[in-house]
This record gives sequence, C-alpha cells and structure tokens, in this order.
Amino acid sequence: MSSTTALRTLLRTPASLRLLLLQTPRSTYHSYDHAEQPVYREAERTILSSALAHVPIHGFTQEALTLGAKDAGYLDISSNLFPKGTFDLVKYHLVSQRLGLKDRIQFPDENFGVGRKVRNLILERLRANVDTGIVTRWQEALAIMSLAENIPASLRELGALADEMWFLAGDTAVDASWYTKRASLSGIYAAAEIYQTTDQSTEYRDTEQFLDRRLEELRTVGGAVSGTLGWAGFQAGAMVNLLRSKGVMI
Amino acid sequence: MSLRTTHSILSGPSLPLKSRLTPLAFQLQSRNRNGTTRTLASATPTPQPDPQPASPPLQSLTNAQKKYLESALRVNHAGELAATLIYTSQIPPIVKAHPHLRPLMKHMYDQEAGHFKTFNHLLAKHRIRPTAMYPIWYAASTLLGWGTGVMGREAAMACTEAVETEIGDHYNSQVKELLRWDDEAKARGETLGEDLQALIKDVRRIRDEELDHLDHAVGEDAKMARPYEVLNGVIRAGCRGAIWVTERV
Repeated sequence: MSSTTALRTLLRTPASLRLLLLQTPRSTYHSYDHAEQPVYREAERTILSSALAHVPIHGFTQEALTLGAKDAGYLDISSNLFPKGTFDLVKYHLVSQRLGLKDRIQFPDENFGVGRKVRNLILERLRANVDTGIVTRWQEALAIMSLAENIPASLRELGALADEMWFLAGDTAVDASWYTKRASLSGIYAAAEIYQTTDQSTEYRDTEQFLDRRLEELRTVGGAVSGTLGWAGFQAGAMVNLLRSKGVMI
Repeated sequence: MSLRTTHSILSGPSLPLKSRLTPLAFQLQSRNRNGTTRTLASATPTPQPDPQPASPPLQSLTNAQKKYLESALRVNHAGELAATLIYTSQIPPIVKAHPHLRPLMKHMYDQEAGHFKTFNHLLAKHRIRPTAMYPIWYAASTLLGWGTGVMGREAAMACTEAVETEIGDHYNSQVKELLRWDDEAKARGETLGEDLQALIKDVRRIRDEELDHLDHAVGEDAKMARPYEVLNGVIRAGCRGAIWVTERV
C-alpha cells in the first residue's frame, strides 16, 4: 500500500478507533499461568464475523465487509478499520478457525498415534471450511492470498496452523525436525485445501483420499531420508571406532 | 466526509472536544461507556482478580517479557545441546588417555544431559521454536569437543572453562532479570505465577552446576593448556557469537 493511501486510511478513521490500526507483533511464548491476549478487538471481531456470514452469497468482497459492519450496528465507513480490505476478511476466517480447532476436536483414545491425530486435525480443519459455508467461495480467498502483498502474511498464517496442529497432536520434538515437520504439514494442508475447492464428491470423500495419498507419500519419503541418514551416521561412527582400535589417536 | 474529518482533526484542541468527534467515533465511545467491552470468553486481556483473597493476583506478561523469555529459553536449549555434544565427543579420547577422568567426565555429561532434557521439555511446553541453526551448532560443537579432546587433557579442560564461563554469565544475567521481574511484581502486590517461579529455581540450579564444572576444569589444570590465551579467547568469542545468533534465529 502506498504511503498516501495509508495516510488517508489513518485520517479517515475516527480518532477513538485509530489505535486499532496498529498491529502489534505477537511473540510465541505460550504461558499457562497468564491469559492470552485476544487477536481481534471487540469491534473488529463483531464486524468481521458478521461479514463472514455474507461470504457465501457475496463472496470475499468489500460488499460483504460493508454488510457485516451494518449488521453489527456500525456505520458502513467502519470497513476503514481494515486497511487490507478483503484480505482481512480472509485472514479472520483463517485465524478464528485455527484458534477454534482445539475446541472442534477431542482425542478420547489415548493410544491414538501422532500421525492419526494429525490426519484427523487436517480433516477437521477442512470440515470447518464446509461448515462455515465458505468453501464454494474459497477459490476467491486463495486468489486474494496469492497477491504479492499478501503472500508473507498468508504463509505466516499457514505456518501457524501447522504449528497448532503439531501442538494439538501432542508432538514435543524440538530439534531440526521441528522445521521439516511444519514445512511438510503446511505443504500437505495447502494442497488438500486447493483440492477441496474443486471437489465434487459426496462429503468431500475425494479430498480425504487425496490427503491420505499425500500422507502416505510423506511417510515413504520421510522413512527413506531418516533411514539413509541413520545408515550414514552408523558408518561414520563405525569408521571412527575402527581407527581408534588401530591405535590412531582420534 | 473525509475532507471535513481531516480538517476537524488537524484543527486540533482549539475546538471544543465534541465537535472533533465523527459520528462513528461518538457512537463507539458511547458503546464503550455503556460497558459493552466484551472479549472472547477463552481469552481475557487483563488477569481476572483471584477468587481467593489469600493469593495475590497474577502479573500479566508484557510482550517484551514474552519476547525475552522466548529468546532466553531458545539460547539455553541450544547451549545445553552444544554442551552435551561437546562432552559426548570429548569423552572417548580423554578417557582413553587419562582413565582416572572417567567418573568426572561422566558426572559432568550426566548433568548436562539433565539440563538438556529440562529445556527440551520447557520449549515444547511453551511452544517456543528451537534455533534454526540446530544442525550447524550440532556440527560445530561436535567438532569443538573432538578437537580439544584430541589436543589433550589441558586443552579439553580449557575448553570447558571457557564455555562454562560464558554460559555462567549468560545464566546469571537471566536470573537477575527474572528476579527483577519478581521484585517488580511483588512491589505491585502481584505474583509471577508458578511457571516463572519454577523457571527461576531451575535456571539458578543449572547456573550453579555449570559453575561447578568451571571449578572442576580449573582444578584439572585448564590454565596449563599450551596456547591457553588463544584457546580461551577463541572459544569464548565463539560462544558469545553463537548466543547472539541464537537469540535472533
């Protein structure tokens, strides 16, 4: 956004609401003793959630935002609160469904493996797209997210979703695999979501099968990589021990 | 609309307050005055007053404090990873040349492995990302441990001395910072919460154990290492650099 548009947005917004335009970066330290700050403030939350109800009919458009502001009892001009316009609407769906995921799913069975939990979490998150009725319009959202100015924020949100899924699945690894796990889950989820927007089958059964094929591929490739690395590590250790047994001072 | 708003905002405090408010702002202000500032039920912005009057209210963490905790715990985790790897690769050459050092090395390694476990647990619990330099620190610390181990007992001990000096300083500044938070919270009649109290205790204990290793190393002739100044200077500079990088990525 150019600086003049930014300035105009700032000046158009009423003084009492101007603080809401500031986006504070959030840290990742997750505290159990202290309540987390809500991501959206009250005015933003009511406007955006009522705007989402208009998405199935009006799509991810400025019109849906305006109607949402009206429904929530604010003036039409309140959509000035969202300088990124429709992308803020898309992002609200992403953030609220990510935070709502932990309430949508429970694992009563303790001997559920992490892999099965992740599969269920992905399916549950995809189901949220259907339940809110926005899946028919989701291609528009994907198009908005793929605009150059929105790509960093969209990727950050995708990463946060992958992080949330691994956390809810109970994965506690904090080594280099932390990064590869999140990257591969992000890729699989993004692919499954794109597939879902074109899926015509009953209850999105094709999407489920698509997801299972991707997870199976990941298992195969991941197994091959870790097997190869394990073999190389073992050979290196054996070589060092062999040299030590020959009296080399290493 | 926009022109008038802009004008009235820019004309500043000379006008009476009411005329500077746009209709929307006025409406929202009166909304807030009516006390309809609800928030998400699961996430309240301010700590609720504790139901039992006996325990003081929890202090809410500021964003800066969370950032500090995040980078501090990440550095601690990376540091303990490096420490366990240094000992792992030092032990075979050192113990082969000086069998009497086996119990000491095992004792130090076991303590470091315990610290590493503590921080593994804390990182997973508080959802902090491990350092992106993980594979690089892995290789660098293995190489450092093996290199000083091959150079001999004194060099290995000089390495321990240098590393523990830096890490002791690092933990010390953390304990100071956390205790300062604790004092500030107490001054306001609040408490830091169980997690942070436990963290203070853990970091203190770990710092003392690290400084113990430092004493052991000096007792085992660390100062007799041949290019002592070079070893000490290079390893300490490396530690400081690694801490600086790990705080960020």
